[in-house]
Amino acid sequence: MSPAVAVGIWSVAQLIPSPLLVIGKEHVGGGVRWQLTPLLYSFGIAERPVRSFLISPIARHSGSVELHVSPEWACCAPDERSSWLVRAGLRLYLPLLEHGEKLSWSVGASYYRTAGARGDNGGSADLGIFTFHGAFGLNVTVSPWLTRREVITALTIRLF
Amino acid sequence: MRVRGLLALVLSLTLPGCGFAWRALKRNLSAPPERTVAHKIVDPRRPEAKLAALWVGHATVLVQLDDRFVLTDPVFDHTLSQASPRLVEPGLDPARLPPLAAVVVSHMHFDHLSFGSLDWVEQRTPIVLVPPGVRSNMPRYDFEIRELETWASYEHDGLRVTAVPVQHVGGRYALDAAFETRAFTGYVFEYHGLSVYFGGDTAYIPSAFQATRARFPNLSLALLPICPDAPRDFMQYTHESPDQALDAFTLLGAQQMIPIHFDTYINSDDALGACPRELRARMQARGLSDEQVPILAIGEQRVLIAK
Repeated sequence: MSPAVAVGIWSVAQLIPSPLLVIGKEHVGGGVRWQLTPLLYSFGIAERPVRSFLISPIARHSGSVELHVSPEWACCAPDERSSWLVRAGLRLYLPLLEHGEKLSWSVGASYYRTAGARGDNGGSADLGIFTFHGAFGLNVTVSPWLTRREVITALTIRLF
Repeated sequence: MRVRGLLALVLSLTLPGCGFAWRALKRNLSAPPERTVAHKIVDPRRPEAKLAALWVGHATVLVQLDDRFVLTDPVFDHTLSQASPRLVEPGLDPARLPPLAAVVVSHMHFDHLSFGSLDWVEQRTPIVLVPPGVRSNMPRYDFEIRELETWASYEHDGLRVTAVPVQHVGGRYALDAAFETRAFTGYVFEYHGLSVYFGGDTAYIPSAFQATRARFPNLSLALLPICPDAPRDFMQYTHESPDQALDAFTLLGAQQMIPIHFDTYINSDDALGACPRELRARMQARGLSDEQVPILAIGEQRVLIAK
């Protein structure tokens, strides 16, 4: 199989979004999030610890630190502000069961910027738990200064 | 061979492929509780044996070659990939494993490579042999993980393990089958004049079996998968039928064959017992005896050559 076809399959898999539950101080809404990993260092894998974009689940969930970039649309932005934002940050993954394939958890910190000329920015912290070789997980992101979207829970879906 | 693997991958994404996956999922959800093994062997060391094999279940076999032990595709999991429950408990408690000369892994599928099960053998083996591309998909362990290209060998203290060609599909997480196009193999173990073939998981590829026989003309034993069989139009690219396993046995020219890879997990449309039943029928038609092809129960150990 040519590398182009392999990358094409992977790219299509990355388009699957993770649904979000957005919890503001006075409302509840929804959203979607995508995630890319430009760089990951795995300290749990037997070989080739540094990976980029195309990352085997075991490399991530057996123990790793990743630099991630996450575009997302989270509903209910305040008037005249965009519901689109992008996050970039660091996340640490640690294995809990079967080298993280059955169960792993994560903790991370990120910087966000909302879209538009009057974009807001600020910091977030997140905590996650993952199962089914990292294909499914729950990730809670807390952004105290992101108005009306202070707490976002993501049902993370990541196929490879 | 790679084209056939690709074809299998493409088929799995088609409507019939998805239909098969859905049926397998439904069967797994209604699987009976795990059956226990009566009279489980406590000490698998057989001092009277020159060659013995204990079928732990699925593709996991403890092979004794004189005073050395080799374990194939160690999987002691009660559930595969958190979705497919085990039908019969492992035929040997992993805590009862003897010191191993080597462990071999044929490919990365969950029913052949279990990271949790490798924890059990971590302090019992110096080395785990894997096909190309697998090492970078495995977590760290205390043992050495060595990739063997086809026909490459590992030798230590009189034991020689050689990777031999088979046809299957690589990858572990479905999508990576597209990238890991060489990540499957069979093996031949040689020690003190004995030689054992382990097919892992393979389609029927006469040229591969003939090439193996050309290099290993005196195989004492062939461990050959006989299932999954149905649906055959889907399985033919990656798995032998029971009849084809007997053809492979003939092409390999081994003295005895032990069928493996059946009735441990649900991964096909085959009814429980269908594959060994079909194998028995085909054996009868070919005039093969139980001595030549002993069908072991899970947990059963057979001395194949006595000292």
